[in-house]
Amino acid sequence: MSAISLTGLTKRFGSVVAVDDLHLDVRNGELVALLGPSGCGKTTTLRIIAGFELPDAGEIEFDDRRVTELQPERRNIGMVFQNYALFPHMTVVQNVAFGLEMRKEAAPTIRARVASTLAKVQLTGLEGRYPRQLSGGQQQRAALARALVVAPDVLLLDEPLANLDAKLREEMRFYVRSLQQEVGITTIYVTHDQAEAMVIADRIAVMFNGRIHQLAAPQEIYNRPHTWMVAEFIGLTNFIEGSIVGRESQLLVIDTPMGTLRCEGSTTDTDAKPERLIAVRPESIQLSQRAEGGPRSSDLTMNRLQGVVRARAFLGNLVDYRVEVASGAVLRVQGDPHAPLAVGDAVEAAFQARSTWSVPAREERVR
Amino acid sequence: MVGARTRGARTLARGRPWFLVVPALAVVVVFFVLPYANLVSMSFLTPGKAEPYVAVPTLGNYVSALGDAFQWWILWRTLKLGFLTTLVTLLLGYPLAYNLARASSRMKGLLLVLLLSPLLVGVVIRSFGWMVLLADNGLINSFVKHWGLAPQGLKLMYNEFGVLVGTVHVYLPFMVLSLSGALQNIPPDLELAARSLGASSTKAFWRIAFPLSLPGIFAGSLLVFVLAVSSYVIPVLLGGFKVITTPLLVVQTAIDVHNWPGAAAQAVILFAASLVCIGLYFKLMNRAMRGLSA
Repeated sequence: MSAISLTGLTKRFGSVVAVDDLHLDVRNGELVALLGPSGCGKTTTLRIIAGFELPDAGEIEFDDRRVTELQPERRNIGMVFQNYALFPHMTVVQNVAFGLEMRKEAAPTIRARVASTLAKVQLTGLEGRYPRQLSGGQQQRAALARALVVAPDVLLLDEPLANLDAKLREEMRFYVRSLQQEVGITTIYVTHDQAEAMVIADRIAVMFNGRIHQLAAPQEIYNRPHTWMVAEFIGLTNFIEGSIVGRESQLLVIDTPMGTLRCEGSTTDTDAKPERLIAVRPESIQLSQRAEGGPRSSDLTMNRLQGVVRARAFLGNLVDYRVEVASGAVLRVQGDPHAPLAVGDAVEAAFQARSTWSVPAREERVR
Repeated sequence: MVGARTRGARTLARGRPWFLVVPALAVVVVFFVLPYANLVSMSFLTPGKAEPYVAVPTLGNYVSALGDAFQWWILWRTLKLGFLTTLVTLLLGYPLAYNLARASSRMKGLLLVLLLSPLLVGVVIRSFGWMVLLADNGLINSFVKHWGLAPQGLKLMYNEFGVLVGTVHVYLPFMVLSLSGALQNIPPDLELAARSLGASSTKAFWRIAFPLSLPGIFAGSLLVFVLAVSSYVIPVLLGGFKVITTPLLVVQTAIDVHNWPGAAAQAVILFAASLVCIGLYFKLMNRAMRGLSA
């Protein structure tokens, strides 16, 4: 096992910059998910780490071993492909033994290690099957076994669950995670599925246009996004445009078309660039029936907006509302399915200043 | 409207599906089965003087053909040329097909046009082209003589070598197309997976891509072998009647000697011999391809 260090990695295809000055440090034994929309450069990054592509600039190190120009077969990696890439003309055993054969291990060693690895992925009994005779999940585990049996320094997974059906995919998330923990191997996991990344990763690197916008633990990514692109990509978000007019204790005071709102946010460089986007998650907004003429709360740690329910959709575990607020903007709100709110009701939408995050406005290009 | 039309089409297909094969079947029966049946039955009849044959059954055609050492030798040469053509097209065609299969889609179009363009020119014209190059005072020989490399000149034509050059050139596209079809079906990820597991690019090729391309090798070899063994124009032009193969012998026996039943028997023998070769090859490939097919 090794830590992985990528420094200034750049890859161009013609005029397209697929990976743009990318820096990433993965700790020993850690699982980092590269998350982003298709075309963001995450798969290219993985292929560069595997040695299938050479970077135009930058360095790759496994611990202190510089592997930037090394042939893939000399990097000691394990890789699982999206389509598994099992050798169709070889049985499960032959597939799993392949890497050990290439390492010129003795036959008894190969037999023993293949058997124990197949046991680990619960494929014992299917040794003689050909890949086409396996179910999707079994193929997936065979591919994992083939990658892990050689005791690689790093494990590279390229959308390994994308070809499974939804139910199996959810099970396999936990399975892959526990297997990775059990083996304790440094892993880079490429996916475009945010839920998958959240479940599986120690840290998530969110990528857009060949760059990592944020590298952090799942909770941090969700609650404290660095850029509006991260906030928009992960989960559902209501964006409210505004600009900073002041500060109160640790809160930013932001003037918006909906009135003055208070929120948290990264406070770097706010004087030069006061334009902000407030990102409010639909589940952090509380709706309540508006008390006509009642006393208005003066609690400044709570943002309150008056609005009308325009649409309501029952989703089982929650209800999805669309609430039109005074400025004419529409907020998505997700809440308690038992709340007696109907379309046309006048409501108050309240959200804690402390649970509200703001990011620099769209114009700013973030490194 | 759409539903009604779909239903109509479905009833048609369900009611008379055999109806749809009738045209193809008719073509095969009229142009292949009947002539072949005629040929086989003719081979068991007695040669006539004024007419092609008289309707007296006999095994004499086979007895004389199989008893003739010269005909065995011709048959051997025919099969040998077929085998050599197959081997050389395979060796020349494999790298070509590999690059064709791995080329970008735009490049692939261009390469395909280049590959197929010789097929637009007839076999006769192409053979004449080779004659210009290979003749005793052709392009290659005048070059060789001028530079004193071989003062006597090289014997490049009117021998088996000349015929081989012709058949290899003409049948190469068939081999390449069969091979690249098979190679294209191999996901590039398989070789990358092998590389990630510690195989060098050479090893990844021999362990992964090559075995998976065996069906293509099989199909291409079969096609080229059958075409080469039965080719007539190329041995005539580039062999100049000095390289007699069974198809030439068949034509000579029929046209020059006017022994149609004898020619028919020779043709059937060539057919049987090819079938035996293909059968052996089939067995060999089946062993090699165990596990490849479902």
